[in-house]
Amino acid sequence: MSKPEKIKVLYVDDEANNLVGFKATFRLDYNVFVANSADEGIEMLEKNPDIKVILCDQRMPGKTGVQFYEEIASRYPAPVRMLLTGYTDIESVINAINRGHIYRYIPKPWQETDIRSAIEEGYKYYVTNSMLNVKNVELQKAYDELDKFAYSVTHDMRGPILSVLGAIEIAKNSDDVPEIKEILEMMEKSIQRVDDFIQNMHEYYNLKRGELQIKEIDFNEIIKELQELYDVGAKVSNTSFQIELNQQDIFRTDVLSLKIILNNLLSNAFKYQRKDIDSKFVKLEIIVGSGSVTIYVRDNGIGIDQAHINDIFNMFYRATSQSVGSGFGLYNVKDALRKLNGEIQVKSQPGEGTEFKVEIPNK
Amino acid sequence: MSEKLNFIVIDDSKLDCFIAEKVIQNSGRSETVKSFMVATEALDYITSNSSSDTKTVVLVDIQMPVMNGFEFIEAYEEKVPEEARNKYLVNLLSSSINETDMIRAKGYKSVNKFLNKPLTKDTLDVILASA
Repeated sequence: MSKPEKIKVLYVDDEANNLVGFKATFRLDYNVFVANSADEGIEMLEKNPDIKVILCDQRMPGKTGVQFYEEIASRYPAPVRMLLTGYTDIESVINAINRGHIYRYIPKPWQETDIRSAIEEGYKYYVTNSMLNVKNVELQKAYDELDKFAYSVTHDMRGPILSVLGAIEIAKNSDDVPEIKEILEMMEKSIQRVDDFIQNMHEYYNLKRGELQIKEIDFNEIIKELQELYDVGAKVSNTSFQIELNQQDIFRTDVLSLKIILNNLLSNAFKYQRKDIDSKFVKLEIIVGSGSVTIYVRDNGIGIDQAHINDIFNMFYRATSQSVGSGFGLYNVKDALRKLNGEIQVKSQPGEGTEFKVEIPNK
Repeated sequence: MSEKLNFIVIDDSKLDCFIAEKVIQNSGRSETVKSFMVATEALDYITSNSSSDTKTVVLVDIQMPVMNGFEFIEAYEEKVPEEARNKYLVNLLSSSINETDMIRAKGYKSVNKFLNKPLTKDTLDVILASA
């Protein structure tokens, strides 16, 4: 077992004797850095931004301790700051404490036990604070996602429904049967879009809330399912669907996440084809090596503009108006890969096609 | 009152374009109706087509990929000179019930109305009343 890392403590004082004494007393328990002026203290912080606790003497030639803390407050807000001083300086100490620059004040000359307990408590305060910061960032992220989610739900779910309502209104007033049939076909696509969205949302929550169930993957079984799922559509749209499997080793991962990744990449490859060409293809290549699987999904479809390629994995981002994307699919892919510690790369040429390369480590 | 108008519909949904075209045609006020599923194409059309003096009503969906309704308005205000903008009446349509969108829409001086989808005879009447 490795020992917990020593707390990094910076001590700033203009009296060299104090520095030596401090280091001698505490070097076994803490990782001690010393500086004999405010400027040297700042340099020390630059080199060691992970210093957790700072003790600084108030009375120094040049900058005082309070001035030193004011100067570093915006650049290094994280370390816990303590001021060492004699009673005569009490005014400046009160000021500094009230302005929130200082966690604790320690009278001089200092006692070993005072310093020790101040460092321990200060460190606890530091840890609590930084944990709170992490939680706040997570919370903010969750709120942002929820906002986006609420916004998109009204649009992505309500949009197609409103379209259908509008279409019904027109169909009701039409006696032209071919026109009504045309309207019905468009209504069907709209409803399909709502259904896709709901399915993607279901996947999204499975990923967010679900526990991973790691087991051995039978790729032949998965390929059979994918063929059943896409062969009909491939035939109708005149797209050839080729699958290659090269398995050297057994592979274990969460099967649901793997399926979400494959399904989204494949359905995109089929969705974003160029309508005007004859030799449409979608190729899936799965290479199972020792320790990881590499999956390629290639197509010769419409491709992705370089300007959009960095945004395609963002929630609700849609880079094209061709076809009816929910803007959810690739976000789910990325989320699933994050859970599996996998990676994804995309290469694309507008008008020529797209290649997604996925790598997932064996669990 | 019954002066004929040109119409431009910008919506990434084919069905919504179709609905708009029908509703507009049924109003009997349309000289022409043109639909665009990509906002950039509509902008190209507007910037390159300044010959006609007929008043043109533009209906823009807010949520579209590549260039959304707001981005369209910004590009339109930037690229089309104010004088030429006078003959266009630009309206935003949205399916989201969103306060922020509504407030944002009001911030653009070239936006005539912010309306909810679907486009119906009544919605169109609101727009035509301001034309």
